[in-house]
Amino acid sequence: MLQLVDFVVRNRFFLVFVLLEVLSVWLIVRNNTYWGATYFNTSNYYVAKTLAFSNSVRDYTKLNEINADLASENAHLHAQVARLSQTNATQSPAGYVPDSAFAARFTYTVAKVVDNETNKANNVITIDKGTAHGIKPGMGVISATGVVGKVRFCSEHYSVITSILHSNFMVSSKLIRSKEIGYAKWDGKDPNLIDMIDVSKYTKVFKGDSAVTSDQNSVFPPNIMVGKVETVAVNPNQTFYNITLRLATDFRNLSYVYVVQNHQLVEQENLKLRTIDPKK
Amino acid sequence: MSLREAIQYSLMILLYLFLQIFFMRNIVLFNYAFCFIYIAGILLLPADMDRMYALLIAFAIGFIVDVFSNTFGMHASATVLIAYLRPFLIHYQMKSRGAERAEVGIRAQGFGQFVSYIFPLILLHHSMLFLMEMNNFGMILYTLIRIGASALFTTILIILLELFSKR
Repeated sequence: MLQLVDFVVRNRFFLVFVLLEVLSVWLIVRNNTYWGATYFNTSNYYVAKTLAFSNSVRDYTKLNEINADLASENAHLHAQVARLSQTNATQSPAGYVPDSAFAARFTYTVAKVVDNETNKANNVITIDKGTAHGIKPGMGVISATGVVGKVRFCSEHYSVITSILHSNFMVSSKLIRSKEIGYAKWDGKDPNLIDMIDVSKYTKVFKGDSAVTSDQNSVFPPNIMVGKVETVAVNPNQTFYNITLRLATDFRNLSYVYVVQNHQLVEQENLKLRTIDPKK
Repeated sequence: MSLREAIQYSLMILLYLFLQIFFMRNIVLFNYAFCFIYIAGILLLPADMDRMYALLIAFAIGFIVDVFSNTFGMHASATVLIAYLRPFLIHYQMKSRGAERAEVGIRAQGFGQFVSYIFPLILLHHSMLFLMEMNNFGMILYTLIRIGASALFTTILIILLELFSKR
């Protein structure tokens, strides 16, 4: 017993060192536990307030670009309104009557970016809207120029978003001209470029073609811009293209985003769950 | 350690944390070189400081940076590692120099000694941080460049700050 005490006393620094290392690794691994998700990230009220203060200075210098983005979005929306008023449900067969609840399933909440990172291997964004404004984890986030990410944690007034520049994030996207569906996924290097995977090489892919969110998306509304095709390469051993997209959104200058709420998401997901568990 | 020194060093640590959280987190050179200036708060602690306190302070500093950058525990673990290894390096240097009192700082140690004290620790800290952050092994070369560039950048900034601080 005395030897054990002696051992502990002699190696107390090493033991504390190991203890602290284990604690931090545990924090990394268990980063989804409730209290970790609630307090120890930038959705914490005081942390977010501090970052908002430091960001407010930088924001002022970016007003020009924000204005330009909003103006271009306005133009885009006008064009869309004009098109929609002329044709309803263009791609559907003649007998298809769209459900009005389905058509109006998305609502948008405007939020301001409080903290933004683009240079790490896994990037997240903090915004100034939280559960008090009806935001829940899992909602999609878009900006005036394109797809941004998905809500990960929420506190009462702030939320943390997994940006598209994150290793665990994929967006189902569609190439407009070749009508091919694939996944957009970041490789962790350049914050302007993103890879598109799972596009079959037996169709033609055009350089400069736009990739938009596909209709098979439950989180994002369809036809939100993801990026433009920058390079197309074919690996002879594989059946898929290696496509690189240039992102539509400039993540370094992100200031305002829209959180997308899909009112029918729960219904859709519940229906899907039944196929997985056939006993019920 | 006297009370005056204790206050002085706490202020130093707070200053470096402030620098890190408000300025350095936004500064990235050429998409490669990051600066983690806050570890100067650990590196420049007095050499004869109690090792237990140094470890706990390192964990606290790392954890605060983690909270502000959404990294959960990566900074904390890397900072604790260098806080643990620091006394060994100081001791080794003191022996090889033949000095009887261990001191830290660019004036006390001299330029060469100081760099050979901080650079290995910074390199270790950055390697641990970036390797933990790496998602897939294909990024290894890219990550190594980042580690090297960031270690250089941080070292240069710490030396500059140390040159211009009067103590």
